[in-house]
Amino acid sequence: MTGRASTGLLRVIREWYKPLLLLAPALAYLGLFIVYPIVDSFATAFFYKGYFSLESVKYLLYSPLSKFWEALRYTLVLAALVVPIETTLALIATLVLLQPFKGRDTAVYILTIPIAISDVAAGLIWYSMLTSKGFINKILLGLGLIDSPIVFFGYEYRDRALLAIVMAEVWRSMALVFIIIFAGAQLIHKELFEAAEVFGASFWVKLRHVLFPLIKPSIQAALIIRTLFAFQVFAVVWVLAGRDVPVLAGEAYYTLVELYRFDVAALYALVIAALSMSTGVLYLRFLRARHLEVGRS
Amino acid sequence: MASLTGNRLLIAVAAIAIIVIILAGIYVAGFGREEKPAEEAATPTEREEAPAPQQPEETTPTETPKEEAPTKVKIIWASTQLVPAAEQAFVKGELLPPFTRETGIEVEFVGLGYDALVTRLQSEMEAGKATISVIADLHGGLDLFASKGWLEDLSKFGALEGRSFPKVLEDYSNLYGIKAYVPWLTATYVFVVNKDAFKYLPPGLTEEDVVNGSEKWTYEALLKWAENIYAETGQKALGFPAGPKGLFHRLLHGYLYPSFTGAQVKNFDSPQAVEMWTYLRELWNYVNPQSTTYDAMANPLLKGEVLLAWDHTARIKDAIVQQPDKFVVVPAPRGPEGRGYILVIVGLAIPKNAPNQEAAWKLIEYLTRPEVQRLILEKVGFFPAVEGVAEKLPEGPLKILASGVANQLAAPDSLVALIPSLGGKGGEFSQLYREAFQKIVLEGQDPQAILPEFKRALMSLFEETGAKLPPPDE
Repeated sequence: MTGRASTGLLRVIREWYKPLLLLAPALAYLGLFIVYPIVDSFATAFFYKGYFSLESVKYLLYSPLSKFWEALRYTLVLAALVVPIETTLALIATLVLLQPFKGRDTAVYILTIPIAISDVAAGLIWYSMLTSKGFINKILLGLGLIDSPIVFFGYEYRDRALLAIVMAEVWRSMALVFIIIFAGAQLIHKELFEAAEVFGASFWVKLRHVLFPLIKPSIQAALIIRTLFAFQVFAVVWVLAGRDVPVLAGEAYYTLVELYRFDVAALYALVIAALSMSTGVLYLRFLRARHLEVGRS
Repeated sequence: MASLTGNRLLIAVAAIAIIVIILAGIYVAGFGREEKPAEEAATPTEREEAPAPQQPEETTPTETPKEEAPTKVKIIWASTQLVPAAEQAFVKGELLPPFTRETGIEVEFVGLGYDALVTRLQSEMEAGKATISVIADLHGGLDLFASKGWLEDLSKFGALEGRSFPKVLEDYSNLYGIKAYVPWLTATYVFVVNKDAFKYLPPGLTEEDVVNGSEKWTYEALLKWAENIYAETGQKALGFPAGPKGLFHRLLHGYLYPSFTGAQVKNFDSPQAVEMWTYLRELWNYVNPQSTTYDAMANPLLKGEVLLAWDHTARIKDAIVQQPDKFVVVPAPRGPEGRGYILVIVGLAIPKNAPNQEAAWKLIEYLTRPEVQRLILEKVGFFPAVEGVAEKLPEGPLKILASGVANQLAAPDSLVALIPSLGGKGGEFSQLYREAFQKIVLEGQDPQAILPEFKRALMSLFEETGAKLPPPDE
């Protein structure tokens, strides 16, 4: 009896050890860098000296120092502004750069430069351009278009600071969206467009019925990646607006570094994680690429 | 057979990969755990008060020439100051080797956070076995140690020859009936004036009044001055470091509050405090609105975005070093109750029953020599605690800074504010002042409605930590 069970077990092990072994590095990676930090964040956020505690939630919701709701609102507003704008711009850029013209490769390279610039550097570049003695104000003053410099930063002008953040973020991360969509578009066979042309399809028809359906998976991938990143927005906001425009990741950093509230910072991190995961699930549910589903049924 | 070796190879590679990943994970996780308390330990006070690191290449530690001294003594010097890497390199590579050459005493410099120092001293005192011979810490910390009877009375070593300390420093270093520490370094926050701004001085205020900190250099005069500049140039010329990493809260609790109410915390919601907030609201009309994004004032001054600025000396130093002809450093203005300003005092003390006390005293004697104090000023930007160093500096940016600081220290109506020792709660203390500012000045809420609640929160910080209200509150 036991002998048979053990041979059965042996067989299972023999059959499964190879796939398990192959999966092991990935599982170890996920365990160490995803599961462990999440569990640890939970422990940091909700346990104090070994006991369950809701101090962090209390701080988040009731402390006069907490800017949680404002931060949540600004994070969502920024994502809602930045992601659609940059996706539209990236689509337009893709359409233009799919046409063969001289210097096209150079244009592609130039468009993708921002991806190589760190977000802090991007923030500093935009800050020094837009500050009251920055070169944009100097040009406008020099051209006589304005009498006194336009102030973009500071608490009283935080709507303008928000505008500056949107510009900087779009400039910085449009490159990523563009690369994903452009790469997808380049995989489309020329024959498809030529065939469409033979049937007399107009520019718009080609766009709507040939290009879009084929780059939809790329657009979705780009959307998912960018929306998740948008919830983590931090450095650009921190440099341009400080806490005048609070965002979730900024508040996490702030409570940790200035107030030493590890629990509150961990709770912020969990809020961001929850936001990212639920959005990811929504995207996967409602925006599943059609050609994937065709193969299913 | 071939497939079997293939399998073995596969297994071996996978096993090694897993082990490496797990070890890396354990290392990273374990490392993170170690780091946490250290992070907590570094209190906001000393982080902020630490001057910007100086550019360090030349100060990399050089090997101390090991001369055999007649008596080989080694002492431990624990310090919460000069802890950043570049500053430690200066201490170990430049500051200590001449001392070791001269006396044969070897010094082990241990840089640590305030909380770590408290823990270590406490356990040494309880175990009755002291290992640390010299401590360097801020006044607030030394006050606590003295109150617990952890420090030797330094008067038994006699006076230090060839140097004198300002009276305010002498007074503070005598605590609980003993000479608790020898003042070593100071730092403060000052106003910087772009010389162009003197063109728009309001009637009745002269350049000398401002530079020497006379009776007429008041917060009212500052408001008139900023108003004047705005009227004549259209520029909101005043600037404060009110960005998220700026030290604006120090202006609120250490300058404005003492100057208007005579105390930092005690009179937080008094009628005079309401008056102060009303004043600040009016002043804010002439403050560069970008101030809420400024972390340090050197750049805005250099770019000409502001003509008058207030900040920590280390954070405006760059402006003065780059354009010494353009700026003057001046004392803070005075308010109805006096000229409130923050003095950061770093003192040197000897723990009770410390080993090698004679050697420890020799180190203290060395560290407070005028020429050593000057070296520290040049290399790390902390100001001297002994008199007469500023005057002997050559003309240049350091002299501009040092004489501004000396003028502030010498003002007769000065009301010295010390930063409270709240350890890890220091951040919350600062933030309560910042948040009150945000609500009252930026959002325009009624101070009377806000101040009582904030005062309760402030007082609870002192109750929780058992810290004393800082001077001038007592």
